[in-house]
Amino acid sequence: MNQADLSKLVSALRIAVKPKPRLLSCPEGPAGRLKKLRATVTALVKYERIELNYPRADEAQGYAERLISDAIRNRDCHKHTMEMADYWLNEKQLVHKLFKVLVPRYQNYNSSFTRLVLGPKTYPGYYAGTAILELKGNPFPALQPENHNYHYWLHNVLLEEAKKEFRSAREERNAGTTESVTTES
Amino acid sequence: MAIVEHLASLLRKPIETSDEAGERSVSTQKTGDESGNTVIVAPPEFRFMYPEFLPDPAPETRNRLREKLERMDMLQRRSVIEIPEFYTGSIMAVTVADANSPNKFARFVGICIQRGGSGLRAWFILRNVVDKQGVEILYEMYCPLIQKIEVLRLERRLDESLLYLRDALPEYSTFPLNMEQERRLNNSVVPINPIKVKLRPRPWLERWERQNLQGVEDLNLPQRFYDKAEKVAKPWEKYDLMLHYRKTIPAEEQEKIFAEVHSQLQQQELKRKLRRRRGFDNEQ
Repeated sequence: MNQADLSKLVSALRIAVKPKPRLLSCPEGPAGRLKKLRATVTALVKYERIELNYPRADEAQGYAERLISDAIRNRDCHKHTMEMADYWLNEKQLVHKLFKVLVPRYQNYNSSFTRLVLGPKTYPGYYAGTAILELKGNPFPALQPENHNYHYWLHNVLLEEAKKEFRSAREERNAGTTESVTTES
Repeated sequence: MAIVEHLASLLRKPIETSDEAGERSVSTQKTGDESGNTVIVAPPEFRFMYPEFLPDPAPETRNRLREKLERMDMLQRRSVIEIPEFYTGSIMAVTVADANSPNKFARFVGICIQRGGSGLRAWFILRNVVDKQGVEILYEMYCPLIQKIEVLRLERRLDESLLYLRDALPEYSTFPLNMEQERRLNNSVVPINPIKVKLRPRPWLERWERQNLQGVEDLNLPQRFYDKAEKVAKPWEKYDLMLHYRKTIPAEEQEKIFAEVHSQLQQQELKRKLRRRRGFDNEQ
């Protein structure tokens, strides 16, 4: 049983965080893992939508969300946040983009800041295929069609109730006719 | 059964709908919610004063209902006995009920070298040197055998864990068993003792040169130790954001937990102060 580390205050992430990190093995070992993820996070902040393999995308999503949530919580004058932004973003103009563009965009969000969509698998088999990792609110057209029919919209609620009423009225009518049939016989 | 149902209803989270709904702006008032009721928010220092109220971050063992029940039990215990605020480096005296001792009580004075655990299993280790023999005792804070916990000197040190006192000169771990409680001049700030402890010559129990300790004097080791420490070090862990996230409880959850226990802890504190003042007046 361990006590929670109190040295840093972190915002809750609105993505599913797996209990154990992936190793992402490479010749440089654990140091190389963070180097790879740094390249991914930098590309995500630069291009706002990237296509890559699913395991790396899933790991990078966590780090991108953490970076943005720290930037929103602590803003740009916080030493620790600046150090993290400096480490994770290889191009320094992206640090400016993080604090001047992404923080105002995601300030009032109640949901996650990134979206991970499964992409095509180029050959058959049981393996994790590609994935598309994107920042929400990006200028590109949407990847998935918007669902324009939610059950909680008013006309849908009224239609559901009308359907229920119709069905119960029909059952009553049927019950009425069967009773009259039985009484006749 | 009714109690369990009530607790389960308290833990039911509000239903979140689509992403679209999530992106709408939300007012970020902390002291008032939408209906205008005041929301209790505990002061931010609570996480340092009562770290055992926060659960173990490992998701395999998280159970919201069990944590809530544990917090209720912890508050119940705290209403019976005073568990004061203390930190690693504070000198404390603990009185435990002991069937085998002549007085039926056993009292031990020592410096808190480490604290850990969460919930009802929170513990701390006190160290002292008695008759030239180093003694360490691990006490579970919420154990019903504990009769009294006194903080004789409330202070912090430069490190969160003082395990290096085991390899330090004995004078740094020796405290008189009849030590009296020291009065604090300034009640609002807990002083940090900047003492740098001198270690005995090697061999040591741990490789202290690899641990970035602030509270020890210069170790004066041959250069090969520091070279090996650099080779073995993991400097990238400082930047591993997800590692930090998995090791801690998010701020929103911390606020929720402490808002729950804050009012009860405050009430207990007030009652104790009144009792102390009444006792003082009666004496006079």
